[in-house]
Amino acid sequence: MIELSLPANFSDSSHLPFIAKLSRIDGHQTATLVGEIGDELMFQFQDLTISIVQPVGEDIIGDIVFVEPAYNRVSRWIRERSDHNTLLVTERCDQLCIMCSQPPKKSHIDMFTFMEQACMLAPQNMMIGFSGGEPLLYKEQLFALLEKVHTVRPDLKFHVLTNAQHFEEDDVERLRQTAFKSVLWGVPLYASDPSTHDSIVGKIGAFEQLVTSLPIMARAGLQIELRSVLLKQNYHEFEQLSRFISSKLPFVSVWAIMQLERIGFAKNRWFEQFVDHSENSEPLMAAVSVAKSVGLDISLYNIPYCTVPQKLRGFLSQSISDWKRSFPADCEKCSVKSICTGFFEWHSTLEDYKYGGVI
Amino acid sequence: MSSVFPLRFRRLSESSLVFANEAGQFFKSNDRFLERLDNEKLTKSDQEFLFDHAMASRRAGDINEMSYLHRLASRLRPPTDLSYVILVPTLRCDLACSYCQVSRAAINAKGFDWSDETLLNVKSYLSKSVSKRIQVEFQGGEPTLRLDLMSQIMDFCREHFEESRFIICTNLSVVNEAFVDIISAEDVFVSSSLDGSPDLHRKQRTNTKSQTDEFFKNFSRVGELIGDRLSALPTLDSKNLPAPSDFLDTFDHYNMRSVFLRPVVYHGFARKRHPTSKDHQSVWQKFYEACIYEMIARNIGETSDFYEEYYLTLILKRLLRPGEDNHIDLRSPNWLGYDHQLIDYDGRIYPSDEARMMARTGQVDLSIGDVFAGLDEEKRGALQGRAFNALDPWCSQCPYQAACGSDPIDDLARHGRADVPKPATAYCQKHLHIFDFAMKLIYSEDKKNQHSLALWLGLPSPIFLGDVLQ
Repeated sequence: MIELSLPANFSDSSHLPFIAKLSRIDGHQTATLVGEIGDELMFQFQDLTISIVQPVGEDIIGDIVFVEPAYNRVSRWIRERSDHNTLLVTERCDQLCIMCSQPPKKSHIDMFTFMEQACMLAPQNMMIGFSGGEPLLYKEQLFALLEKVHTVRPDLKFHVLTNAQHFEEDDVERLRQTAFKSVLWGVPLYASDPSTHDSIVGKIGAFEQLVTSLPIMARAGLQIELRSVLLKQNYHEFEQLSRFISSKLPFVSVWAIMQLERIGFAKNRWFEQFVDHSENSEPLMAAVSVAKSVGLDISLYNIPYCTVPQKLRGFLSQSISDWKRSFPADCEKCSVKSICTGFFEWHSTLEDYKYGGVI
Repeated sequence: MSSVFPLRFRRLSESSLVFANEAGQFFKSNDRFLERLDNEKLTKSDQEFLFDHAMASRRAGDINEMSYLHRLASRLRPPTDLSYVILVPTLRCDLACSYCQVSRAAINAKGFDWSDETLLNVKSYLSKSVSKRIQVEFQGGEPTLRLDLMSQIMDFCREHFEESRFIICTNLSVVNEAFVDIISAEDVFVSSSLDGSPDLHRKQRTNTKSQTDEFFKNFSRVGELIGDRLSALPTLDSKNLPAPSDFLDTFDHYNMRSVFLRPVVYHGFARKRHPTSKDHQSVWQKFYEACIYEMIARNIGETSDFYEEYYLTLILKRLLRPGEDNHIDLRSPNWLGYDHQLIDYDGRIYPSDEARMMARTGQVDLSIGDVFAGLDEEKRGALQGRAFNALDPWCSQCPYQAACGSDPIDDLARHGRADVPKPATAYCQKHLHIFDFAMKLIYSEDKKNQHSLALWLGLPSPIFLGDVLQ
């Protein structure tokens, strides 16, 4: 597991928090490397000296970090060598999904200024994620950030994970502007039956709102990635969901079907939520087949290679972020490890699956 | 109350009809539904069916209207830059096939090859017209008679464009070391003609036993060298059709299970030597269906290497997937002379291979410019009038319109004019047959058929591809 938050020492702990790029050479907004003692790296940012112990086997030079001297902490917001960088917009949410991987909190700290600076420093052509909570609770600030960053950094791409409850007719003109062509919007949809979807996301009327929002997004020409998590609560309805998407949502760019992540709320409710697709792959096969028949792009996320029938393997994606990916010891012998998405670090085991194992 | 996106229909059998809208969404129903639709007396369950399948909307801007408009728009692609070019470096050929589609020139004839000046102008024309990607198809004549010209074009493209791909259409009568060298590159593909058994192939093409043996020897050798970068097209004469099973055996022998079944085309020299070929539609259709059923019978069981007919798979994709519009003979709008052009041995530019055949046989000059003076925008524009089937009074009543295409050049070639009523055209008759046949397979309850449909469409498991309103 890759550490995203590193302990650090500062010459002045009363220094206000800031964004910097860790660098060997002096430049715009850099914390410049001035000394190395073993694993300990010393950086200079204006008058401030920062000392960070570099995690074993990792290179933090090039990373864009959020520095908090008062907490003796440096957070790696944008890692130069990673494709999985996500910024947390807020921990507030207006839904309460039963399997939420990042349970919401009531409080909110506005970090938009820092996020904007971090984006401006990002490496060329990077894709940066925004997540939450529900990022669109701060719609105005988020839209403004995307627009502003785009004018300076048109090379960057963004992924925003949103429940799409907050798009309105009045947003269409604004969202049609070129800034938003660089954004892929990840929108969860868990069932085509309104009551199933609503009960999973913990909000009555959420499905109805989605069905209103999605055509608004389409009219604005947004790129949409639908996301559906496999759950005991919706697995039996998966073909139906696929038929719904295939007939009513031809404008989505991709449909991601995701296996459950054992963290957050799902951790304690694992056995009432996790569904073993290896034991019964029929609903998954049918859902993929229906969507594929109409030419929809399908991606299977968080699904180890060996747990699905041959015919589904072409749809698998290496979706688990590098910093949380892991493999149990047995997988060392496996011939397809390099193309397998692996497991989440906090639940790295095949024991949940009836069928699977070294190939 | 919901408003239904306008439906067209066509009878599939005594008891069933297919209904479809302009965006290409379709379903099967019966005469009772047709009557209800006609009398504007849809039942509640009719309306629910249509709403659930996104074929009716309840209010402006709702999800169904958006999906309908999106589908419609996906089927109406604007024209794109030139990306597929057929090049004819020479018109000379070393064979004299009885149904040759082009007016070929004798092997030693003079003046039928690109001159140095033509080559230079072809290159400069391509660099001006092609943006990033190019697919070049070398045709003839027999293009391998001018390996030198092909090599120069390949080097040029690889240097100038981000992505290049080359297809050499050759009779494979001569395979020398220089040819072997050219085809060893991964971006080079070879397309040849294989009409079936050696006996049939000799009758139709190679004439003598020695030339026939030489072809089969070369064909095997190239297959061993480049594997699936070699493909073969059969040309079938409806007066002399092979047994489907023998035919598929021949192709299977060369590991070619994806076959493009085409009858002799009523063009060029073929038109003069096979005057009856247009009357053989029903014979051909029978053969076509028999071949498909033979393929389906052979596709039983788990196999990644399955039999398929290229055009039927394309038709199925066009029916089910808006935006599947890469085939220039089957799309609408068919922007003629935009993304696809042919540059002839004399530097003239045509919107398609068929267009040059007509010029060669003296029917009509459809050239749209040349590499020396550039494109003639006016001539190109004149072709667009009939390139859009939704504007045709017949097509706009047809449930297959969205999935079908428009080919005014084919209409011109076969019927002498482009404004023949559509149902009287060979294009329409051929496509109606395949679309009806595709519907028959889609709505078939036979598991074997469903299994093959899933294979052809790349589906992990068979599913119902067509909805039914009872």
